[in-house]
Amino acid sequence: MASDPKSAITSVNFTLDGNSIDAMPGETLLNAAKRAGIEIPHLCYKDGLRADGNCRVCVVEIEGERTLAASCCRAPTDGMVVNSQTKRPRNAQKLVLELLKSDVGETAYTHDSELDHWLQSLEVGKPRFPTRQQPAADHSHPAIAVNLDACIQCTRCLRACREIQVNNVIGYARRGSASTIVFDSEEALANSSCVACGECVQACPTGALMPAKEAARGETEKQIDSICPYCGVGCQLTYHVDDNRIRYVTGRDGPANKGRLCVKGRYGFDYVHHKHRLTVPLIRRDDAPKQATLALDHENPFAEFREASWEEALSYAAKGLLEIRDNQGPSGLAGFGSAKGSNEEAYLFQKLVRIGFGNNNVDHCTRLCHASSVVALLEMIGSGAVSNPVADVEDAQVILIIGSNTTENHPVAATFIKNQVNSGKTLIVMDPRRTTIANHASHFLQFKPDTDVALLNAIMHAVIDQDLVDHTFVEQRTTGYQALETHLRDFTPEAMAPICGIDADTIRQVAKIYASSKASIILWGMGVSQHVHGTDNARALISLALMTGQIGRPGTGLHPLRGQNNVQGASDVGLIPMVFPDYQRVDNPEVREKFENLWQKTLDPNPGLTVVEIMHAITDRTIRGMYIMGENPAMSDPNLNHARKALASLQHLVVQDIFMTETAWYADVIFPASAFAEKSGSFTNTDRRVQLGQQALKPPGEARQDLEIIQEMANRLGLDWHYDHPRQVFEEMRQAMPSIAGISWQRLQQSGSVTYPCKDENDPGQAVIFTEAFPTPSGKASFTPAPFTNADELPDQEYPWILITGRQLEHWHTGAMTRRAEMLDKIEPVPVASMHPEELTRLAISPGSPIKLQSRRGVVTAYARADHGMSKGQVFLPFCYHEAAANLLTNEALDPSAKIPEFKFCAIQVAAG
Amino acid sequence: MTVTVKDKTELFSPQICAEIDRWIAKYPAEWKQSAVMGALMIVQDDNGGWLTTELMDRVADYLDMPPIAVYEVATFYSMYELKPVGKHKICVCTNVSCMTNKSDLIVEHLEKKLGISFGEVTEDGRFSMKEVECLGACGGAPMMQIGKQYYENLTPEIVDAILEGLE
Amino acid sequence: MVNEVCLRTLDLERPWLMEQYQSRGGYEVLKQVLTEKRAPEDIIEEVKKSGLRGRGGAGFPTGLKWSFISRNAPGQKYVVCNSDEGEPGTFKDRDILRYNPHQLIEGMILAGYAIGATRGYNYIRGEFWEPYERFEQALQEAREAGFLGENLLGSGFDFELHTHLGGGAYICGEETALLESIEGKKGQPRYKPPFPAHFGLYGRPTIINNTESLASIPMILEKGGEWFADIGVKNSGGSKLFSISGNINNPGVFEIPMGTPFSELLEMAGGMKDGRKIKAVIPGGSSAPVIPGDLMMDLNMDYDSIAGAGSMLGSGAVIVLDDTNCMVKTLERMSYFYHEESCGQCTPCREGTGWLYRVVHRIESGQGRQEDLDLLDDVADKISGKTICALGDAAALPVQGMLRHYRDEFQYHIDHKRCMVGAG
Repeated sequence: MASDPKSAITSVNFTLDGNSIDAMPGETLLNAAKRAGIEIPHLCYKDGLRADGNCRVCVVEIEGERTLAASCCRAPTDGMVVNSQTKRPRNAQKLVLELLKSDVGETAYTHDSELDHWLQSLEVGKPRFPTRQQPAADHSHPAIAVNLDACIQCTRCLRACREIQVNNVIGYARRGSASTIVFDSEEALANSSCVACGECVQACPTGALMPAKEAARGETEKQIDSICPYCGVGCQLTYHVDDNRIRYVTGRDGPANKGRLCVKGRYGFDYVHHKHRLTVPLIRRDDAPKQATLALDHENPFAEFREASWEEALSYAAKGLLEIRDNQGPSGLAGFGSAKGSNEEAYLFQKLVRIGFGNNNVDHCTRLCHASSVVALLEMIGSGAVSNPVADVEDAQVILIIGSNTTENHPVAATFIKNQVNSGKTLIVMDPRRTTIANHASHFLQFKPDTDVALLNAIMHAVIDQDLVDHTFVEQRTTGYQALETHLRDFTPEAMAPICGIDADTIRQVAKIYASSKASIILWGMGVSQHVHGTDNARALISLALMTGQIGRPGTGLHPLRGQNNVQGASDVGLIPMVFPDYQRVDNPEVREKFENLWQKTLDPNPGLTVVEIMHAITDRTIRGMYIMGENPAMSDPNLNHARKALASLQHLVVQDIFMTETAWYADVIFPASAFAEKSGSFTNTDRRVQLGQQALKPPGEARQDLEIIQEMANRLGLDWHYDHPRQVFEEMRQAMPSIAGISWQRLQQSGSVTYPCKDENDPGQAVIFTEAFPTPSGKASFTPAPFTNADELPDQEYPWILITGRQLEHWHTGAMTRRAEMLDKIEPVPVASMHPEELTRLAISPGSPIKLQSRRGVVTAYARADHGMSKGQVFLPFCYHEAAANLLTNEALDPSAKIPEFKFCAIQVAAG
Repeated sequence: MTVTVKDKTELFSPQICAEIDRWIAKYPAEWKQSAVMGALMIVQDDNGGWLTTELMDRVADYLDMPPIAVYEVATFYSMYELKPVGKHKICVCTNVSCMTNKSDLIVEHLEKKLGISFGEVTEDGRFSMKEVECLGACGGAPMMQIGKQYYENLTPEIVDAILEGLE
Repeated sequence: MVNEVCLRTLDLERPWLMEQYQSRGGYEVLKQVLTEKRAPEDIIEEVKKSGLRGRGGAGFPTGLKWSFISRNAPGQKYVVCNSDEGEPGTFKDRDILRYNPHQLIEGMILAGYAIGATRGYNYIRGEFWEPYERFEQALQEAREAGFLGENLLGSGFDFELHTHLGGGAYICGEETALLESIEGKKGQPRYKPPFPAHFGLYGRPTIINNTESLASIPMILEKGGEWFADIGVKNSGGSKLFSISGNINNPGVFEIPMGTPFSELLEMAGGMKDGRKIKAVIPGGSSAPVIPGDLMMDLNMDYDSIAGAGSMLGSGAVIVLDDTNCMVKTLERMSYFYHEESCGQCTPCREGTGWLYRVVHRIESGQGRQEDLDLLDDVADKISGKTICALGDAAALPVQGMLRHYRDEFQYHIDHKRCMVGAG
């Protein structure tokens, strides 16, 4: 982009208030003036929103024109003479300000009203007009206060809601002076379809829309730039802090979010101040032996434990682990790290397991989300990360989403996709559930659960049939195509239609749209990965992209949407059992030698066990001790009764967390750790962008930073570590990981975000990869044909329903944070099971009433919710509610390659509760 | 949260669908939204002269529009009613040409006769009154519109005769 | 020279039928243009020559408007007719739709031919049910006769025409609000530039003309631009439909040559009712500043003559008020109208129209303050020319006109808290 207007050949020269100004092509008068240091008053204009020109505060006089022009909408032409401060425009500006001031009430809701700012700077006195009749306040919503007496009808909130976030909740209804901002058909905000992204709050210039309870009424003492602790999108934000408390959060203009946030990022921060934070180390009481059945009292969560000093807790923790290591050998221990912690924490944690425990039994929840995607990607194209960032949807013609409830699980990423749909791009959504992203799709394929491979193979068959294979790409960049073609021969759309439930014509049409567009991108979520055939599902997607040449260019490629804020980074730095940092295999002697030199220890040549395998090994009594940092397997593992029994049977369990999680309840010793906002570190988002989280708060009580706790443990396990700052850990990581060699801590601090691969300090970072070659030994990608197989447990007469589990917008993962975030929990307070309304009617269950779900493994009771998006015969249950833990029901059957459990499919019974 | 119904023909009766489809056919295929005004009027007429939120949401679904955009249209144009109206909605023009031709007498007469004012419905639900802006029939001032019909050159006697002639 | 152009079939029985229209030579010029493949540039030239100016109120030269369209630009172009007749006092387009719909259809097809548009929409205000049905019936006849559809009369030229029905909003008479309305949105005027000739309906090049303007086209092309221009006077070509209403004996629509003295028009309209004295005339729809009756009696019905008296010809809607009318009450009603009909988009108009109404209302109801007249002047001045569309201007002009000619009446209201007329 031409940032220097002087260098742009086509710049436009005009005169403003007597100054000669060069405007960039297409730049408006207002923005050109701003760049030249001349402020023209404005209210309805905001950077990033479409200029609307409605407030008329920014009017200027253009020589030769009868009427005044809105400078936010008007671009200058060469030689144009413009005045913004002469009598005519000034009078008009002042009248508008006066009219608006007379409109709004006396109450100030914000410390930085833009209206007040311009009233003062233009010296507009008390209005001559009496105030209007004021609308009533709407304080129905837990997170957002609506005070329309401060509204100036600039419609910035409307554009934020409908054009930026594309949530289509806010309207400008009626007309003339009766015009008013409305939510849906004039509902109270809490009763409307608002998803509380807060974009409107951020857009409002006068405080008519504000964080609830006057949280942002005054200016805070500190503003800390950081990033969001929830999903993998990696939104940048600012914490507004007073007295070691976060008062409110605003979005920051990061590369992945452009100032946008979702409800969790904006309003889900107060879990850090929850009364049940762990603030002192705890040791299990002698009179409270472990029991398999979870009986955690959430009102009195610490009953089974006693307080301990750090020294006692650390010694006790280390002693227990050392005993096992020394008596039973290293294989008796395992560790779960966390995708929520920083890269530095994950790196040190896996290093601790590998050289402190002496084995590779280290894993984390990536196993439970995208392990299958990563296995397929590594196998076929040599790299497990995304090929293109989400932002590349801008360069795409066709966007294909499969198995992703994008609007709820990656809400901000979804906004960019919806923006592209609004500007005419084609969106294809494939999902057994009709979620809200489907409302934006030109093609929605509601295929039968479990039939991904059938559908995708049929699409590939149709690509071949319609002669849409990119033969040049296949020939130059891939191997093994013939085998795929042969394999696909029987997967005709006609043959697959009855299996997947999508008619042959639609399959052909979609194949054509995807294959023949200039650029098509595929994004997928856990609907693809969490199956026993998850790896095959991903293989089929990769084959589709390869055979059509839809990879290796902007706007194309493969993007598994990562679920946790640092699941990409935690995997990158080696928090997985079979590879060291940067996916270098532990069973490769050369690699091992390199790491033995770096870490100065002999390393175990055998890949370790994965999450569910570790649970089985505990049951088999081969693993007796564990160190779990920030993970909650007692909620997130499949078949929880089994997993909880296993945890209870451990000889020694050390848990490091911020709350008494369901897993911590099984611990022998618990370390009070730091929440996201209480520490600094680097995090890697779904796009491979490395970004910095900055400490905004001091940890409560005696809670310590995780990096410090890991080190204390390491040193008690016989290591000698002295990292004073995450910076030092990061520097060591750079030595171990060629992919981030070019990223320094200093660079992260300066730019806020650097994408890897980044080979040296001059490398800007590569957002789009595989442009020339794939990182495989031959440089080529390979095809792996995917056979069609069924889920492990199909519905039958006894268990006739299909259970699908997942997340919901307001809650995140096992709910450890979001259920303790007041505003989020108020919006979604109880466990809900969604079913098609007609199915509820058939079962005589009314929405909102209890519903009992039972599988061969467990039973839960939730509240019924009617959802037209569900297919008949299916139930959706989020896994964040401890009161109705979905994973009590799920099946622990594993994908053979990736060892990911089948969270997306099991058979259950349904009855009124 | 609204979740779109899959089969659009379930949204309205076949006859209403056909009428809306006639409007849709007038516009480019990618501009179904253009039919929103026609569709709202059809649905309103079918519902005794007013629109409910549910009906507006159905129109939105039928035309693949966000419901909020339909609501904005329905509240912007004066011919859509969001509250119940009488079987006969009497719209009286009071703009300048009618005013100077004594539209106030017509209004007074109607108010006395029906026992209601502008914005109200008679108890039996037969009549409602609405003040409207110029209806483009100033040559026949004072005038009113009932249903789709214009009535011009009104006097109280003529008004009586008109109302008597209505079902 | 009465009823020569748009109302040329008015004397016939059921003049809206195609056979009646054709009995007066209707569709002949279309046939001629299509079979002779007359050059579109010639047509535009002829329209320019006719001196036809937009009959909706703004008076912009029609031929010039057409020439802004890049005829050979690829892609869809549109012809849109503005039959959203709503300027208080105006009721002429209703008569064209009711009595001579075919001439409008023919005019729209010819306009489409001239600018290379193959689709047209006629936006009829929602309350005009009878005119809508007449027009729809005429469309049906025209389709059956092969004047609409594909390959008209074997010429290779396609033209399809549909009606869009409004929903009750004065602002949709503003051309870009009208386009928004066809697109299924609220009628909020668009920021200009870009103008519709470049970015119009569905973002495509579009011409929008008033009903009367388009209905004049067939006669202009049949008899020539000069013939039309010569009917009127300099700067005001042709004849024009005047809607005359108020305190007169025979209100109605009269198609007469531009430049006809107002006194003649008043006479045609039967003169003042009950022999009352003429007090004031609003010569071009309610947004045209009022002209005192005695001054008006010396003016002619053309753009320049009316403009010379500080008002405007507008849509040709003449409201005649006798001496029983209170000017404060009249302005109050007019201000209420603009307040009701502001779209709500721009601050000065949304808030300012409310202010104008409230201040006039308090003067009318005896609550006026001494400073109110200056306040009215100030607000009116600051609304006009500062909004996206001209509704702000339209609301300000009547205020300015009333204060110019009848300030004493307003002052009397403030001073005596009652009406001067009643006190009379």
